[in-house]
Amino acid sequence: MIELQNVRFSYERERPLIEDLSFRIEKGESVGLIGANGAGKSTLLKLLLGLIQGEGRILVDDIPVEKANLSQIRRKLGFVLQNSDNQMFMPTVYEDMIFGPLNYGLSREETERRVDAVLERLGLQELKHRHNHRISGGEKRMAAIATVLAMEPEALLMDEPSSNLDPYNRRIVINTIRSLPQTKLIASHDLDMILDTCDRVLLLSKGRLVADGPAAELLRDRALLEANRLELPFSLAGRGS
Amino acid sequence: MHMADALLAPAVAATMYAASGVAAGVSVYQLKKDDDAQKLPTMAVTAALVFAGQMINYTIPGTGSSGHMCGGMLLSALLGPQAGFLSMIVILTIQSLFFADGGLMALGANIWNMAFYGCFVGYYLLWRPIMRSRLFAGLGPRGGQRARIALASVLGCVLTLQLGAFSVVLETSLSGVTDLPFGAFLALMQPIHLAIGLVEGLVTAAVLLFVYASRPELLQDVDSAGEAAGKRSLKSTLVILAVLVLAVGGGLSLLASSDPDGLEWSLFGNAEAGYSENMGLDEESFGVHSAAADKAGAIQEASSFLPDYAFPGSESPAGTSVSGVVGSALVAGVALLICLAGGFFRKKKSH
Amino acid sequence: MLLICHIEVIMNKMQKALLELSDMDDLAARSSAIHSLNPTAKLLATIAYVAVVLSFGKYRLSGLIVMLLWPVLLFQLSGIPVHLCFYKLRLVLPLVLAVGLFNPFFDRAPLLVLGPLAVSGGVVSMLTLMLKGTLCLMASFLLMATTGIDSLCACLRKLHFPGLLVTLLLLTYRYVGVMTEELAVMTEAYQLRAPGQKGIQHSAWGSFLGQLLLRSMDRSQELYASMLLRGYHDHFHYAPERPFRPQDALFLLGSLAVFFLLRFVPVAELLGALFVR
Repeated sequence: MIELQNVRFSYERERPLIEDLSFRIEKGESVGLIGANGAGKSTLLKLLLGLIQGEGRILVDDIPVEKANLSQIRRKLGFVLQNSDNQMFMPTVYEDMIFGPLNYGLSREETERRVDAVLERLGLQELKHRHNHRISGGEKRMAAIATVLAMEPEALLMDEPSSNLDPYNRRIVINTIRSLPQTKLIASHDLDMILDTCDRVLLLSKGRLVADGPAAELLRDRALLEANRLELPFSLAGRGS
Repeated sequence: MHMADALLAPAVAATMYAASGVAAGVSVYQLKKDDDAQKLPTMAVTAALVFAGQMINYTIPGTGSSGHMCGGMLLSALLGPQAGFLSMIVILTIQSLFFADGGLMALGANIWNMAFYGCFVGYYLLWRPIMRSRLFAGLGPRGGQRARIALASVLGCVLTLQLGAFSVVLETSLSGVTDLPFGAFLALMQPIHLAIGLVEGLVTAAVLLFVYASRPELLQDVDSAGEAAGKRSLKSTLVILAVLVLAVGGGLSLLASSDPDGLEWSLFGNAEAGYSENMGLDEESFGVHSAAADKAGAIQEASSFLPDYAFPGSESPAGTSVSGVVGSALVAGVALLICLAGGFFRKKKSH
Repeated sequence: MLLICHIEVIMNKMQKALLELSDMDDLAARSSAIHSLNPTAKLLATIAYVAVVLSFGKYRLSGLIVMLLWPVLLFQLSGIPVHLCFYKLRLVLPLVLAVGLFNPFFDRAPLLVLGPLAVSGGVVSMLTLMLKGTLCLMASFLLMATTGIDSLCACLRKLHFPGLLVTLLLLTYRYVGVMTEELAVMTEAYQLRAPGQKGIQHSAWGSFLGQLLLRSMDRSQELYASMLLRGYHDHFHYAPERPFRPQDALFLLGSLAVFFLLRFVPVAELLGALFVR
């Protein structure tokens, strides 16, 4: 589904933010992307979406991420931003949800059908006509996920989907992510959430891939995590070593 | 400085809408030609920021009072005059629709008084010429630039507020809602806005200087390398400015000192057909029967949108009679009844 | 809920503005016969109403009072309490009053004699001015309280307003909420560290808003990315507008007819004449 070959990225004359990165994500996989601040997680997501261009090859469903293919690529990849206020730019949840599908040329009827289906699936029917600045942080995050799902993407990229949420809403978001069948790439510092939602973990440090392996194994490796300025997930710390 | 609906006659409101509409149309056209898709979200976020920023109170040192920021100058320095103008339109629209600051009819006038002067006059006459000049070159590249930003902000705010205040007076007087003589009204408004403009200018300068210190590339016409562009001398600009200051200042003092009633008649009597619509009442209020007034009245009668109705059997055409008072009281009673009835039925329904 | 009338003094200006904004949204989200009218019909009727109100002469107080009936009736039909809009009068009335207050001094000729009481033209024209301000406010408040920004934008689009301007209005409205909230928090934080200050001290004049401005520029980049990722080309899609049905036409034409009637027929005088003579 997603493939990177020797990808490198830097802003002019600065230290590269991504260096010689190669990996593959198969269809249906759930992959966690972890690493300290500045490790290159967000940069990597932006590269995949074609928001910035680097060197090397990036393929999404065997289509190279290039200017000519961007509309095709972005239809396949749904991106959930860290700040839902930046994602939800229309006055109401409904208007935000129809924005993507209509832009991709779907009919009004089909768009309506999708919107209702997604809202029902996430149990958010009540939010449909609410104003974005009148809903709570947790509702906003769920609504942001709903706007992305309304485009029926094949893969989901998420940037800190559990940040700034109370335990209850965090749990709702985690359960939602788990229930979604799409290929997932989730960047986060919330290692407990990664453990709950992902089978595989990629560990980045200073733009390089340091480790790539099963979540249950990698997130138990205290030495590796601490060497990369991370900590054991809370749920494993009690039982570990 | 927001005009209220009540202060405007429909013809004046429509004229101001037309003027602002043309400026908006030209701005939309020019922005579309630039075809900068990124500009739209930037405009929206910056406009929202200015909207909120105008609510901040800035303490004025040495006094107990506080001032605010001038949106028009700030927006055109950040976004350019066209994008700044459209952003101001949107801010004023939201203020009038959701906060009753201004009004639906007065929106055209408010856009002109606050957005047009601040964005176009402030930018083309002051901001850009000063930024491109070699003024303050002696202070070094960065110091010179800082001084130019401060100067342009303060001058821009003072000038645009003076023009805005003048327009408010003009529009109100032309609408014929006040008996305050034009000159006296002017003498009241201009000095107040001189002080406000100075404070707004200083606040705006402080914000722009902060932006210059951290992200100079965000400012229009500012060379981020810190070197003065120096493409042309400031002489021509200074000449324009001097002429403008003389014209405005001289004109204002002349108006303020002249016989106010005479002035009012010169204004109203010679007003074009567009302005004399709905102005028929001035004839009654002043009771003057001059040739000019007759002419204005004739034009008014022929062209007026809603000529004043003189109904039979009443003492005065203005409709202020004893029966009028009694009837008004009755109507007010009916209105109150409607309110009570509505409340009554709603209560019943909710039970 | 509608807290406008019970705002505590502790709130800063931005928090009050946020409350006003969300109250308007709540009102617009209600349902009633007036809410379900086509927004274009409502907008046009409101504009006509305001224009007719403003066209009344400066002494036609009795004519204006009759105009009160239209908004009062609509307020009742929409179920929106009339008193809510009077909070907003605090911005309109002082300005109108500042201009109108001079009229009684300049225009002293008695216009109306009620027994021993003589009312001068200036007083009547001042009252007319204030009534005009109140009526215009009631009408536009009613429009927004029963329509909402999304329907209004769809309607502006239909009336062929430039797409760029309408989209800008929509986006700005959304971020007015976000920005005002951020500034409200910043203001609170500032006040906590500078107790007793009424505003922002001059040493922080630039940085207070400047900081937020720089962050906003980054925000706008992310916002743009979010638009692009959802396939934004060059125009926005709006919620579909309510269809223009026969009852909308009836409402619009009926309102216009009533306005013209009230403008040209001295209802108050005729009504009063029944009792006086």
